[in-house]
Amino acid sequence: MIAPAHGRRIISVKGYTMDSPIKTLQDKKSYLDLRKQERVTLLEVLDRALTKGVVISGDIVISVADVDLVYLGLKVLLSSVETMERLRGAPLSGAAEEPT
Amino acid sequence: MSKTIETDSLEIFANEMEKVKDALPKKIEANPENAEKGLAKLVLTLIELIRKLMEKQAMRRVEAGSLTDEEIERVGETLMKLENKMKELKEIFGLKDEELNLNLGPLGDLL
Amino acid sequence: MSLYAYAIIDSTVGVEESIKGLSGAPVYTIPYRDIGIVVSDLDSQVQIKTDESILKHEEVMEALMDKFTVLPMRLYTVFSKKEDMLLKVKDHYEDFIENLDKVRDKCEYGIKVIWAGNVIKDRIINAHKNENASAQPEQSGAKFMKEKFEKYKIDKEFEEDADRCIAIVDGFISKFISEKKLEKLKTDNLLLSASYLVDNEKRDDFKKAFEELKSSGGDLKYMLSGPWPAYNFITLKHSGDGKFGGMDLVETVLRHKDPKEKDEK
Repeated sequence: MIAPAHGRRIISVKGYTMDSPIKTLQDKKSYLDLRKQERVTLLEVLDRALTKGVVISGDIVISVADVDLVYLGLKVLLSSVETMERLRGAPLSGAAEEPT
Repeated sequence: MSKTIETDSLEIFANEMEKVKDALPKKIEANPENAEKGLAKLVLTLIELIRKLMEKQAMRRVEAGSLTDEEIERVGETLMKLENKMKELKEIFGLKDEELNLNLGPLGDLL
Repeated sequence: MSLYAYAIIDSTVGVEESIKGLSGAPVYTIPYRDIGIVVSDLDSQVQIKTDESILKHEEVMEALMDKFTVLPMRLYTVFSKKEDMLLKVKDHYEDFIENLDKVRDKCEYGIKVIWAGNVIKDRIINAHKNENASAQPEQSGAKFMKEKFEKYKIDKEFEEDADRCIAIVDGFISKFISEKKLEKLKTDNLLLSASYLVDNEKRDDFKKAFEELKSSGGDLKYMLSGPWPAYNFITLKHSGDGKFGGMDLVETVLRHKDPKEKDEK
C-alpha cells in the first residue's frame, strides 16, 4: 500500500486524488488508474534507484531490497573473455555484433 | 518539473515490469549458517557462465559447419554431461535457475 | 542519529525552503569543497524499506533537479557518522566533479517498449518445425546438439527481429539524445527498456519524437517516463578506499569498471 507522501505528488490522474470519495463507476476507474500509475511509478523509481546512481557504501549496510550485489574478480573474467575474443577475431557469445 | 509516466497501456507495463522485478538476482546470504550456500551460489553461477559460453560457442561452430560428425557427438556428450551435472548440483544446494545470477551494476545481469 | 544521503549537488548551500525527507525529517546540505551532499537525519531504528520512503527519496530528487545538477545516490545509502561520509566523499571527489560536468543541464528519460514477443516466438518456432522434423540422430551427443541448435536458431531469429524493431525506435529519437543505455528483451515481451541522457534544451524535441514514435503504428506499446536525474549515466571510476571495508567478500558491493579502461592501481 502506497501511503500518500507529504509535499508534492509525483503523479495524479485528471486531478483525482486518493482522498476523494468514490461515488461512481467513473470514480472507481480513475481510482484504479491511479493505483496502477503509482505502481508503475514505484517500479520505475526502483528500476533506477535500487541499483544505479552513485553507489558508495554507507557504513550502515542496509541490504538493497534483496538485490544481489557481489564484488568478484568478475572484471578479470570479463576482461579475459574480451581479450580472447580479440585474439580470435570473433566474439565468443552472442550472435549480433553490438556497436560499442 | 513534475515527473510524467506517459503510456496508453499502463496495465500491460505494470505486469511486465513486475515480472522483471521478481527476476532480480537475489541476495547471497553471508551469515555463518548459510555461508556455504552463498558460496555455492557464487561458484555455480560462474560455472553456469562458462558452460553457457561454451554452449554458445559450440552452436556457432555448428552453424558455421566447422565441426565433424565425430566432434559434434563428442562435444554434445560433454555438454550434456555438464548440463546434467549442473542440474544435480543445483538440486543439492536447493538453487533455482533464477538464483544463479549476479547484478553487475552498469553491465546489467550476468546471465 | 544516522544520515540518509539523497544526492550530490554542485552547490555548497543547497535548498533554501525546507523540504521534508524520510520520516518527515528536514533535508539539508553538508558542504564539501565546492559540492554538497544532500541528507536528512534518520533514526536508525526506523524501517526505511517502504514504498513511501522510496517515493520520498525520488521526491527530494525532483525538488533538487529544478535548481542544481544532481548526482542521485542509490537507495538506502546511510551513514552512521558525518565524518565517515565525508571520508567517502573525499575519496570520490574527482569522480563526482567529472560526473557533475557530464550531466549538467541534462536529464534522463526512460522509454519502454512492449511487443507481442510470445506470439512472435511461437511463429518462429512453427516456421522452424518443418526443418527440425528431419530424422533424429541416434547418438545421444548428436541428439543433444541438434536440440540445442534448434533452440539456438529460434533464439537467434527472435533476437534479430528484436534488433530490427529496436533500430526503428532508435531512429526516431537518436537525434535528440547525447547518450543511451539499452536493455533488450529483459523478458520476451519487454522488447526494450532504455534510458536516454537528454539535454534540457532538447527535451521538447525528444518528447515530440516520442509522440511520433507512438503514432508510427505497428503492434507496439510504448511508455515514456521522466525527467529523472541521470541515474544511468553515472560512472565511478576510482573505487577510493573501496575494498571490502570489513565486510565479507561475498557481501561487498560490485563495482564495475569499464573493461576498456586500464586498471587503476
